[in-house]
Amino acid sequence: MNGRRGPLVSPGVARIFAIILLFVIWEVGARFYADPLFLCPPSQAVVALKHIFADPKIVNAIRVTIYEVVTAFLLSVSVGMVIGLAVGLQGFTKSTILPIILLLYATPQATILPLFVLSFGIGPAAKIAFGVSHGIFPVIVTTVAGVQNLRPHLLTAARSMGASRVQVFTSIVFPHMIPSFFTGMRLGMTAVLLGVLLAELYVSTAGIGFYTRLFAESFAPPDLFALIAVLAAIAVTLNELCRTMERRFSRWHAA
Amino acid sequence: MKFKMRWPQRLIQLGVLIAVLGLWYWATLPGGINQLLLPPPAPVFRNFWNLLTTSSIWPDLAVTVREWVTAFFIAAVGGCTLGYVISRSAYAVRVFDPLLAGIYSIPAILLFPLYLLFFGLGPGSKIAIGTTIAFFPVVLNTIAGLSYVDKAYITAARSMGANDAQLFWSVMLPAAFPVVLTGLRLGCIVAFLSILGGETISSLAGLGHRIVSLAENMESAQMFGNILFAVLMAFIINGVVSYVEARGRRGMQ
Amino acid sequence: MSGSQTVIKVEGVSQAFGAEGDPRRVVALESASLEVARGELLCLIGPSGCGKSTLLNIIGGLATPTAGRVTIDGQPVRGPSPQKVAFVFQENTLFPWRTVIDNVKLGMAFQGVAKSERDERAFEALKAVGLADFLNHYPAQLSGGMKQRAQLARALGLRTDILLMDEPFAALDEQTRMILGEDLSVLLARTHKTIVFVTHSLGEAVFLADRVAVLTARPGRIKQLISVEEGHPRKSKFMTSAKLGTLRNELYELLHTEIRKTMTQRGETSEGE
Repeated sequence: MNGRRGPLVSPGVARIFAIILLFVIWEVGARFYADPLFLCPPSQAVVALKHIFADPKIVNAIRVTIYEVVTAFLLSVSVGMVIGLAVGLQGFTKSTILPIILLLYATPQATILPLFVLSFGIGPAAKIAFGVSHGIFPVIVTTVAGVQNLRPHLLTAARSMGASRVQVFTSIVFPHMIPSFFTGMRLGMTAVLLGVLLAELYVSTAGIGFYTRLFAESFAPPDLFALIAVLAAIAVTLNELCRTMERRFSRWHAA
Repeated sequence: MKFKMRWPQRLIQLGVLIAVLGLWYWATLPGGINQLLLPPPAPVFRNFWNLLTTSSIWPDLAVTVREWVTAFFIAAVGGCTLGYVISRSAYAVRVFDPLLAGIYSIPAILLFPLYLLFFGLGPGSKIAIGTTIAFFPVVLNTIAGLSYVDKAYITAARSMGANDAQLFWSVMLPAAFPVVLTGLRLGCIVAFLSILGGETISSLAGLGHRIVSLAENMESAQMFGNILFAVLMAFIINGVVSYVEARGRRGMQ
Repeated sequence: MSGSQTVIKVEGVSQAFGAEGDPRRVVALESASLEVARGELLCLIGPSGCGKSTLLNIIGGLATPTAGRVTIDGQPVRGPSPQKVAFVFQENTLFPWRTVIDNVKLGMAFQGVAKSERDERAFEALKAVGLADFLNHYPAQLSGGMKQRAQLARALGLRTDILLMDEPFAALDEQTRMILGEDLSVLLARTHKTIVFVTHSLGEAVFLADRVAVLTARPGRIKQLISVEEGHPRKSKFMTSAKLGTLRNELYELLHTEIRKTMTQRGETSEGE
């Protein structure tokens, strides 16, 4: 069979075209058809970016949000890993405690958000706590899974060569867990972002929640779009960072 | 994750539950934790029982359920349709599948303030965020289900003379069904959770709104009762939807 | 050999993947030619990767050769011919969401059989393979051997003159293979279908075939054809007969060099030739 000519355009390029097309439609549609109180063309949002970054209070709110995400993330990962190891390494603890953890994981956390704010106030503490409450669970679950998947004959082989328990842990269990650990980190980051942003948006008297409410109530779509775009960019960057780390450290894992 | 649960584990879990309840009771005795922050168990459960047995929660419940069902319906129809259209062309799949997966990785809750601007504080903004977030698992799973049908089935069908229509309806659709069903389950659950989130952030009615206004009015016992109710609802939905999915999968396997 | 009229004619068929000059080009078949007579069972045997499955797919119209052609009943093959040719594949291609009998009926629906006829024909076909008691089972509830029987029933239900079978018993254990082989021989005697059967197993090839076509290592060519002069249905004592043993040894001699060649090509052995 004679070779068919491949597609005219590689998928990556086609994707970029599609995105550009979307932006063009948005620009044209918003410019000529939309009520400026509700919708603005992307060009205006880009202009508003400058205005956003010029206001030190907004910049500070964004900075605080990043701080909250990073803190919540670090806490989730460290505490989550410890709990995950404690629960997952021993069969009995796993079958007893893990179901409880999974139960907690399944609760709709949006309902207890007001509780967090009541307890911790409207400052960063509540948002960090809520972020941890979201992020800790995927870390625990993936850590447990990582420990669980260790094939027993790797351990047997090590012991037969005279490895002590500590050596077994550091040279077999721990390295084996690393891919799942990074997967847990990636999932944890996504969860922490959700938790922190949810909390920030809820608290409309401070932080970025204040500004989203302000821009929405004063019908300033360019500013709102700009702010959201900035936050989205931060979220995507953090997510991508975790995903790249996960890819890098999972290379030895068979498909 | 499956594990063998025998009575020692069950006993310990029961023990944990009792310990938590006991601790709760003890901590909220007079002189303990501020009752506004953590009310004692008795009024909370009394409240919870009230919610279950009276119709006080029904108006708000109706609002939330209506938002949820609408959002899921739109996401399901839209997602399946778009997923089907994209899956028709392997090239389209290669272009759009990573794009959609990438967009899904942006925390969609960020769109909520925009929806508030657009649709106001009423159900519209909640339906919008629910639809947006539920759309992705549905469309991604529909694409996956339809594009990754085992080639062996298609070869066999073609060798027996199946035309395009027969191939689609009798082979690809049933083969894709379990995966699409999973996408629908995820979409259903995620729609409910994101609508609760939206109501919490800003709304005029609904379950989330109830909890927020009770918090603002410092009605802790009632708030806790309502939280328990919402958690119960989430568990029931999860259970029912998972059951439906499992039945659906079994019927097709 | 029942009847010497040629049904399938393979003329100089070549199959290459990749362009000329491409270092990764694979020539699966090179100028393979053979003829299959009506009512005969021809086995294709050869080392892994020698193109036997490719040749079968080309005969059945599931693949187009880069050179040469195949004719069936004098008509050139241009695509799947469900009216004339039915396949039985090695992997399970029974649709898991349908019962056994619905699977057979679906095959007929694809071919274009009238709805009113399907039930009866499906039942007949399943009875012929011994699955009359399992009509409403799902494939997941069947053993490997039964799944292959069901696939065979689906192919039989199409009432084609030709059956193309691509290592249908390869995934089954030895004992099931023996039984299914005997049953296939009985079926052949009864229906007088023309069957082209791909296999790896020397014993299976000699037991089942009227003729065995030995393919060379890649690029695949027909090295030699061996005749097995024994009537159908083949009895189990044929399996243990001296005649089968001799023929099997002959096959072994022919194949051994080709297998070594293939392994060397793949770097799986350092022993040359």
